[in-house]
Amino acid sequence: MIRLAIILVGAAILACLPFFTGAVFMQFAINALILAVLTQSWNIIGGFTGYVSFGNSTFYGLGIYGTAVAMVKFSLPFAVGLGCGAVLAVLAALLIGIPILRLRGPYFAIATLGLAAATGALVSTIDLAGANTGLVLPLVRADTMFYELALGLLLVCTLTVLWIATSRFGAGLVAIREDEDAAATMGVNTTAYKVIALMMSAFFTAIAGGIYAYWISFIDPSSAFDPTLNVRMVIMAVFGGPGTVLGPLAGSFILSAVYEVLSSWISTAAALLFGIVIVLAVIFTPRGIADVLVGVRRHGWRYLTRNIRENRL
Amino acid sequence: MLLVQILVNGVLLGGLYGLMGLGMALVWGVLNVVNLAHGALIMLGGYLTYYLFTGLGIDPFVALPIAALGMFVIGYCLQRFILNLIVRSAMLNTLLITFGLSVVITYLAQLLFSADFRTINPTYSGANFAVAGITIPVVSLAAFVIAFVLAGAVWWLLNEMTIGRAIRATAQNLTAARLYGVDPRNIYALTFGIGAALAGVAGGLFGILTHLTPYVGATLTAKSFVIAIIGGLSNPFKVILGGIVIGVAEQLASLYLGPTYIDVISFGLLVVVLVVRPARSLRAA
Repeated sequence: MIRLAIILVGAAILACLPFFTGAVFMQFAINALILAVLTQSWNIIGGFTGYVSFGNSTFYGLGIYGTAVAMVKFSLPFAVGLGCGAVLAVLAALLIGIPILRLRGPYFAIATLGLAAATGALVSTIDLAGANTGLVLPLVRADTMFYELALGLLLVCTLTVLWIATSRFGAGLVAIREDEDAAATMGVNTTAYKVIALMMSAFFTAIAGGIYAYWISFIDPSSAFDPTLNVRMVIMAVFGGPGTVLGPLAGSFILSAVYEVLSSWISTAAALLFGIVIVLAVIFTPRGIADVLVGVRRHGWRYLTRNIRENRL
Repeated sequence: MLLVQILVNGVLLGGLYGLMGLGMALVWGVLNVVNLAHGALIMLGGYLTYYLFTGLGIDPFVALPIAALGMFVIGYCLQRFILNLIVRSAMLNTLLITFGLSVVITYLAQLLFSADFRTINPTYSGANFAVAGITIPVVSLAAFVIAFVLAGAVWWLLNEMTIGRAIRATAQNLTAARLYGVDPRNIYALTFGIGAALAGVAGGLFGILTHLTPYVGATLTAKSFVIAIIGGLSNPFKVILGGIVIGVAEQLASLYLGPTYIDVISFGLLVVVLVVRPARSLRAA
């Protein structure tokens, strides 16, 4: 209940922001919101289910291309384009998910890593998708609309994650994360649960991609299937607290802001910082910053070394 | 004739791939850590060789052992001072931390070496000879031989030396090894260091045969992983064989389907292999 209140009040405050801020801030804010959606979507498969996916940028790319091809090649309206991208990504998640979700731990992670590399290469050979040169979408200057769209999507995505966190379905996902064999023994249909989680993740990721495509209005394979985007999803979710409702939001907003400040000096330094953040987060706060606040209050600063004491050699 | 030439190219390239997989398989088998920074370490070894060659004028093949030593020190320190802190936690966490390390190494490399393409280009890099109409590049052949020699060295180390026995003992039963006076912190760091040294040699050879950028790491990690799975974690020579399988498959794919499909092939093979070959046969160090 408290979480629901925080989400709704936060969304209401954010919804008013465009009326007080300038165009430069809007650019940053739309990017940050889209990244937050990606992080929150990754949280469904990576955080709750415990399957570290490096392939979510594939769904993002499919969302981008589904929307762009529908709008450019078939002159369909934006809303239909979004739907096409989402259907494409969800179908892909279903078809890819059934074989590769049989793989666990590192096998799954590397298979998705290969998937991300393969799809980008494949799309650049398809003529309908503009091959290597990419596609140009109709230009619209409506930053406020894109901002509110992205915010709305983030709200729906977060409410879905909140539902997952409190539902029987979510309990099943967490059971799979903690011990998949035990979960299966307890009667959880693990295959169906995992595939549905990946499809939900793909759905929100693809819609975010569609919004991004229309907003940025030019797309090509290397930007649509950018693997560094996956890096950011994983880092932001892990930093914020994987498997929590608000953690990924906090993680992505904080890191987006830090990234923005740093990249105005040197962009490489910003990317480097991301790597350092994930190393430190895994060592000191594997449950995310959300848990630090609780843990430090309860155990004092010894909380920060607890993970090392338990898992060092 | 073209087919035979392609097969020979694939086998020669496969030796290098096997060498990449070897370091990954060793660390995985002993530490039970899938090192997602392995490709980044290969890349780093390549740049080390590059700068030893262009900066100090050392012949690349003389520079390889120096690069290997440098990478050993880096690998030892990474494991001893960072990875050992959390090495016993769930595999999810070791995946994430090595992934973070790969990001750090990649962007440090971009800062230090710039994003330009680099090739280690000694005077003899284009030299080749022909056997029965088949062209054999000298450098590829050298890489192939080095891969086999190093696989032999790893086999000898693990099976014939005291330190190798300690490594195998630690892999089998950490507590028992400790009771017999083995310090697992040191053994883990040594193993990771050896893995990094093998990656360093592979990176140097990779830089001579193709070109280096700071971003090659992710693809090479995925490739090394596939090779380690095909070859298994128990026998170094089988890992080289796994590399040859991938090398030949890639060359055939780029001949018949076009070079775009090279990455698709390794990925497809990975899924096929994982479905066909059960994972339990992997850990038998």
